[in-house]
Amino acid sequence: MSKATLDGKPITLEDACREAARILGDATFPVVAGLGADAAGARSAILLAEQLRGAYDHLASKEILADLDVLRSFSMFTTTPNEARVRADALLFVGPGLSQLWPAMLERLAPGQPPRHGAQAGQQRRIFWIGPEANEAANIPATIIPAARDELPEMLAMLRARVGGRPVAGDAARQPAIDELAGVLKNAHFGVVVWSASSGIDPLAIEMLQAMVADLNVTTRCTGVPIGARSGAAGVTQTSGWMTGFPPRTGFGRGYPEHDPWRFEAKRLVDSGEADAALWISAYSGEAPPWSKGDVPLITLAPAGKEPGRGLYIEVGQPGVTHDCVEFAQEIGSFALRKATTPSSAPSVAQIIDAIATKLQGEVSC
Amino acid sequence: MLTVLRGGHVVDPATKQDAIGDVWFKDGRIVAPPPGGKADKEIDVSGHVVMAGAIDIHSHIAGGNVNTARLLLPELHRAIRARRAGTPLSTAKWSTYETGRLYAQMGFTMVVEPAMAPHASLQTHLELNDVPIIDKGALTVLGNDDFLLRMLRKGEAESAINDYVAFTVGNTRSLGLKCINPGGCEAFKENLRVFGLDDEVPFYGLTSRQIFQALQKSTQAVGVHHPLHLHMNNLGIAGNIDTALDTIDAAQGLPLHLAHVQFYAYGKEGKNAFSSASARFAEKINANANVSVDVGQVMFSDTVTISSDVLKQFNSMPGGMPKKGAIFDGDANGGGVVPYAYKISNYYNAIQWAAGLELFLLINNPEQVYFTTDHPNGGPFTAYPDLFALLMSADLRAQTMARLPTEALEHTTLPSLKREYTLYEIAQMSRSGAAKLFGFTDRGQLGAGAVADIAVYKPGKDVAGMFRRAAYVYKDGELVVRNGEVTQYKRGKTLNIRPRYDNNITTRLDAYYDELYGLPRSIFDLPDAALPNHDVFAEVACRN
Repeated sequence: MSKATLDGKPITLEDACREAARILGDATFPVVAGLGADAAGARSAILLAEQLRGAYDHLASKEILADLDVLRSFSMFTTTPNEARVRADALLFVGPGLSQLWPAMLERLAPGQPPRHGAQAGQQRRIFWIGPEANEAANIPATIIPAARDELPEMLAMLRARVGGRPVAGDAARQPAIDELAGVLKNAHFGVVVWSASSGIDPLAIEMLQAMVADLNVTTRCTGVPIGARSGAAGVTQTSGWMTGFPPRTGFGRGYPEHDPWRFEAKRLVDSGEADAALWISAYSGEAPPWSKGDVPLITLAPAGKEPGRGLYIEVGQPGVTHDCVEFAQEIGSFALRKATTPSSAPSVAQIIDAIATKLQGEVSC
Repeated sequence: MLTVLRGGHVVDPATKQDAIGDVWFKDGRIVAPPPGGKADKEIDVSGHVVMAGAIDIHSHIAGGNVNTARLLLPELHRAIRARRAGTPLSTAKWSTYETGRLYAQMGFTMVVEPAMAPHASLQTHLELNDVPIIDKGALTVLGNDDFLLRMLRKGEAESAINDYVAFTVGNTRSLGLKCINPGGCEAFKENLRVFGLDDEVPFYGLTSRQIFQALQKSTQAVGVHHPLHLHMNNLGIAGNIDTALDTIDAAQGLPLHLAHVQFYAYGKEGKNAFSSASARFAEKINANANVSVDVGQVMFSDTVTISSDVLKQFNSMPGGMPKKGAIFDGDANGGGVVPYAYKISNYYNAIQWAAGLELFLLINNPEQVYFTTDHPNGGPFTAYPDLFALLMSADLRAQTMARLPTEALEHTTLPSLKREYTLYEIAQMSRSGAAKLFGFTDRGQLGAGAVADIAVYKPGKDVAGMFRRAAYVYKDGELVVRNGEVTQYKRGKTLNIRPRYDNNITTRLDAYYDELYGLPRSIFDLPDAALPNHDVFAEVACRN
């Protein structure tokens, strides 16, 4: 049985859904935020935001948009983890913490094994890692180019320049390793770069990396594997894409979707008072909302143990843990069905939102 | 409820009707006029044209590559108006919801997404499930996948290949097979930048010709109605007419569907070394009844090219408008997304436009040629009404030709073609023929027993307008469009087939995925539980 509370006091699930519908229905411009949900949860949440003529945002939009900004203002070369595993003869990891962001990364990409396809089949891979965390690259045969997080843009700029055969006046100590890496990438049959916007690199650095990939493709093959952001970000982005044409940070104030990364940022909407109610969804982790305003009418959907101090709380299950879910699977770069690892009766985000939606008074007229 | 549409001009090639008549339907199916029968509901459609719902056999409306295009080009699909009640997200441009609304408004009741990657079939089906009103289907892409290429390299028995094909089509819930630049995408991973019909895929020792012939045979053997749907080599390249003609010869008389053939109708004449070769192409098609084609007509507009022909898309990147794109090396084909603008003042685009229309007008049998724009590659599907109008009026074509670069008109036979399609021929191409091509026995027609998918148009001077805004559209007997506007959503189905295979193939595939990828093969499965609704799929019969 699901748990629901209003300002810490238990209420029935039925009453909680009715109260949620009242809060959202009374609001002029509610925001559906967090959006830490599986594909079904995202779908229901976006339909609800549309019905309410509110806005929706994901808790990792900054990271989502870092990659998307490069795609939509420059270009993007990508591949699947499978192709990286069977074909890459040069692997470049960029930035710290990748193996925490994607715990199965090294098992999946199997850098220590030789590639299987192409002229490079059976040959040892060349592996480089710019700026790993301490010990992160210890168990793979990688050449490490140390770099602090804020040095990554400079390292990538040097690398791109050296790939292009241009001189650099950067860090002399690390230039020999950068030169070696540039040579390896140029001579590789199928180079693969692995990065994550969640490691703290900004869109310009990602663009620098992708521009280098584009440069390399003039003469050989090179591509990339992005590591998606937390709380179902990649799947929510895809779902949002086919439902509205846009990624999160999209609003329906005019009765049709408009995407604006500044205007529809949930934190800004709440703190500025533009949004007068918030539905916060964080089913994966129970992460808390980012805004500082403490008195916005608030509905929280989060797993057991992540009940906030105030407002309306409805417990939901964790996707793939307490219930089966469809989510974007990093290991295949596509959607997959995940079976629950410890099934429980806790409802899914989609179930709760659908229950709220049916309690909303009629439809907002258009 | 028994309903009759009374007194319309019924155009239904499947039942050879082209006259004033009535159409009766009940419980979602067309019924014979009941003797002395009285309808519960009678609708006067006199002065209207009544056809079965149209079927689009090739339109990229769902899947990872389509979604990448949405995310790549937010500036190209800004929404501008609020939706009507009861139709959530129906004005969200390029969304799956808008796709369903716009197709329904044009009288279309079924669309086939022609490029579903086996390893991303779940996303394609999630997206198709969010296309309201219309029915959907998909074609599964093989021909650049290591498993198949290994089998062919080893010279495995046809029965083994058939099992793999049947398993893959069934497991990805599709209507058949598509092959996109067979071997060419694999070759691109090996850094080849051109790949012709008889070029060898590195390390597999196979040519494109061998790969597609194997799949062509296998498609027949396992009982898929739809012939192998082939996206040939050398798309878009001057002089590629030779590839097209050679490919038809390579088909050896077996059924074969060639996709978006306009993009292969190019000679090398003129000072730009780019000319229409449609006359030669059409002659060949007319002489080979085993071949069907869709045109991939170019319509002048800003659009985006979306294709699993990664090699071709990579080569298109420098010409992108605006200059950006996405290149994805997938587990097999992958995909490339490159924006493009077809301009009426551009010599090459003018030749493309003319070459497409020539094919329509020079291919004799309307059930051998289909009307696609290869949405969105030659233009958006919303341009179909304009295309139908062009096919039906030599005058309208002449008006457009007057605006083309004059030198373009010297390298096409279009000015000499006066043929005008009749409504009957439009219906053959978009209804009866399209249904036959997929083996549908109860769609694309108004015979008793057929699904009551019906489009009613109000003819007028503006032929495009007539087709753009149907007066009435019924889906499964329910009114979904009135006066060109969707009045309500309903849920369409995704049609799929389940060819039979020997279960040993799954054991073999399990071992292959485990050994090569270190993954359970089942991660790519598509169980019913993965879709948000339990009534998503409807199985249709195979040929045997």
